[in-house]
Amino acid sequence: MVKQPYFKRRLSVLAFVFAFLYVPISVLIGLSFNEGGLPTVWSGFSLKWYERLFQNDAIINATINTLIVATVSTVIATILGTMLAIGVEIRRKNGRWLESIIFAPMIIPDIVLAIALLSMFSMLDITMGLDTIIVSHVVFNLAFVCSVVRARLKGFDWSVVDASTDLGASSITTLRRITLPILMPAIISGGLLAFTLSLDEFIIAFFTSGAGKDSITLPMQIFSMIRFGVTPEINALATLIMFASVLALSISQRINRGVVS
Amino acid sequence: MNNENTLLSIQNISKHFNDSKAVDGLSLDIYENEFFALLGSSGSGKTTLLRMLAGLETPTEGQILLDDKDMVPVHASKRPVNLMFQSYALFPHMSVEQNIAYGLEMERMERSLIDKKVQEMLEIIQLEKMAKRRPDQLSGGQRQRVALARALVKKPRLLLLDEPLGALDKKLRSEMQLELKRLQHEVGITFVIVTHDQEEALVMADRIAIMRDGNLLQCGTPQEIYEHPKDRFAADFIGEMNFLPGVVQGDSIIASSKRKISVMSTNGFEDGESVVAAIRPERMSLFLENAENSIEGKVHTSAYHGMDILLHVSTEFGEKPISVRVPIHSVGDKPFKAGDSVTLYWYEKDTRVFANK
Amino acid sequence: MNFKNKMSSVLIAPAFLWLIALMVVPCVMILVLGFFQRGIYGGIEYNFTLENFQLVFDSLYAGIFLSSARIAGTATIIAVFIGYFAAYAIATSPKKWQPTLLFFAVLPFWSNYLIRTYAWIVLLNREGLLVGFSKWLGIDGGIPSILYTESAVILGLVYNYLPFVILSCYAPLARMNPDFREASTDLGASNFTTFRRITLPLSVPGIAAGAVFVFVLSIGNFITPALLGGGRFQMIGNVIYAQFLTANDWPLGAALSMVLIGIMMILLMIQASAAQRSIGQKNKEQLDG
Repeated sequence: MVKQPYFKRRLSVLAFVFAFLYVPISVLIGLSFNEGGLPTVWSGFSLKWYERLFQNDAIINATINTLIVATVSTVIATILGTMLAIGVEIRRKNGRWLESIIFAPMIIPDIVLAIALLSMFSMLDITMGLDTIIVSHVVFNLAFVCSVVRARLKGFDWSVVDASTDLGASSITTLRRITLPILMPAIISGGLLAFTLSLDEFIIAFFTSGAGKDSITLPMQIFSMIRFGVTPEINALATLIMFASVLALSISQRINRGVVS
Repeated sequence: MNNENTLLSIQNISKHFNDSKAVDGLSLDIYENEFFALLGSSGSGKTTLLRMLAGLETPTEGQILLDDKDMVPVHASKRPVNLMFQSYALFPHMSVEQNIAYGLEMERMERSLIDKKVQEMLEIIQLEKMAKRRPDQLSGGQRQRVALARALVKKPRLLLLDEPLGALDKKLRSEMQLELKRLQHEVGITFVIVTHDQEEALVMADRIAIMRDGNLLQCGTPQEIYEHPKDRFAADFIGEMNFLPGVVQGDSIIASSKRKISVMSTNGFEDGESVVAAIRPERMSLFLENAENSIEGKVHTSAYHGMDILLHVSTEFGEKPISVRVPIHSVGDKPFKAGDSVTLYWYEKDTRVFANK
Repeated sequence: MNFKNKMSSVLIAPAFLWLIALMVVPCVMILVLGFFQRGIYGGIEYNFTLENFQLVFDSLYAGIFLSSARIAGTATIIAVFIGYFAAYAIATSPKKWQPTLLFFAVLPFWSNYLIRTYAWIVLLNREGLLVGFSKWLGIDGGIPSILYTESAVILGLVYNYLPFVILSCYAPLARMNPDFREASTDLGASNFTTFRRITLPLSVPGIAAGAVFVFVLSIGNFITPALLGGGRFQMIGNVIYAQFLTANDWPLGAALSMVLIGIMMILLMIQASAAQRSIGQKNKEQLDG
């Protein structure tokens, strides 16, 4: 039914939107390979800005910090989030309050959580640093892990647990030998998602990092570099990060999709 | 039949989607005021044909004449033809009366007149009390009636119904079959219904067209189609049928077991040609006087159906047991057991002959 | 059953306590903090006062709230307008292309927010491509750079949240029974009438969800005004940050936060309850479809 006359209009809408979405990113990626580093003059392909990146101590330190934060908070969040998901699904019927509290970290705007955590840490005179960033990241990470694992549990055939019990396994053995292996793809996928979110997260880290130089994460480093203007080094860094997060999320989705179908 | 007024004349119409031919050179006349059924299995092209009549598909070639005017160039929104969708397609954000009024508003009719017509329509479908309800607050049968009212209120020359009873449960469906027939009489509009349910077509329609592979297989009254199916496919598609294979010899058919089956005529077939003799289960009997045909067999299974018993009888006519419907009153309380010996009788006038393919 | 409940409590407890300690308690503390006085050298004097809230509603901060709301509102309207038509274009594309189109519309959303914002600095700055391009076109001296203006902030917000709007508008369009549109045509409506009376009203849940999301995240936005606004003008998120980290007036910061969080939560709750209400209808629609 919908034929030729709409075709052109649709095409132009899509062309406009995709140009709007992709031109800025593409320019950024293109410039990161520009030898001269000037935004308006193309002076040849070069990887020199990527090389510089790896000699920049501030960036390397920030990257290490980010990896520490993301790794530790992901490990904690994956354990807590998986336990939470199983606990909640065993019970099946949960109070509204419990459901809201589990759901809240995913919908609360980052800035709200950031401000709230900052004021609490300030009031309680807690010295802020990497550790406060980590415990704060666990808050939203565990909610995401929990929701991915719960989605998997929704289609879970609980009779296999009964079958395991019937065959003489204790509940711990059942958890270890039956439930966890079945859930493993979802847990890995949730963990990867949490890891990516944590790598990318800026606002909460920025608010809960305190003043110390030792607790600067990569997004914070980028933020302060950007404020001083455009440099080809940031272009290179931005390009790397962009590919890393898209890659990690794709893997996470693929693992999870493989489970569902 | 020919003295009826032709309302719609479909002439050599085709619809090709890429390589596949959904409808292929089909011609058909539909008369004024009739209840017409397009019957076919899925993929037979019946829905595509219906959508071309509504204007939702453009024919690849051919003409659709409505009151002698070609409808093909006329946009769907301008045709005096309305469609009742299989999904009903009731607008979920509008109340029952808003749904019914929608088509009239498109004609820029005066508000007071719209209200009056909507009210009349609500009375006809007996849903006056539901006027303010949203579609999701109605039962399946009520939604079906609203969908019908929404299409009918525009007083189309032709009302198309795409599997109108498909979404209803069995009991409600048989009620609605009669209800639809009553409504059609009451409003005096030509109905064209698409269905895959042969029983539904037989009960409701004045005439039926059986479609197969994008073309017309047979068209006629329910009785014509049931009693005189055109070929083996049509015979099998409508109702139940036993097929006894054999070869033509003179005026009869010789089954593989050398047993003779008498038939009315073997016109159109040559001696030695491979054919099937076809008999409906209800035309066979365990007690029949002067029947030309009979066969002994053993009961394979027996199923009690309330008003009759359906017997499957193993005979020398091939591996497939023969189905027989035995009316309850003719057998009394005596149950059949597997292995019981029975003799089946049938008249030659009830036996049809088809090419075996 | 009892055993199951006990086990489930054991499994839930650690995460639950974590969320209480690091989400619920901090939020409650903001509520409390706003009612105390600021210490002379920063810090907090634990005396009850409503001063902070008087300050919040005084002209300076109220003005910042209003201008934040104006910027967020403008960004919302533009994002919803573009996003809806993009979603519509995707939803009316051939079925086999839709997942791909949608994937690429949402893909930028997966990359880092800072970097997406930075990309616009690259484009917009005085030595940037847009200015260079306009010079090349021969416009005298080039068009002035809009970087570090309100327009740049709005542009950045639209850019960052557009994928989400496309996604949320696409959902009701894709779920909509295609028979609705055909039924409307069959009943005599033109394409435009069908769009206005059927398609658009049925997309309202998606539009509303997208709009609330963009508005809530824009009004409290910190990064975009800081980077594309160049800190030259303030949105409420930046002011709150300054109260906590530079001005050292925590109680005032808390009071400002409370009002901001209040606005956000009210909008989110309205949206959530509206979505809840339309779920019943949605299920029935799917039955029809």
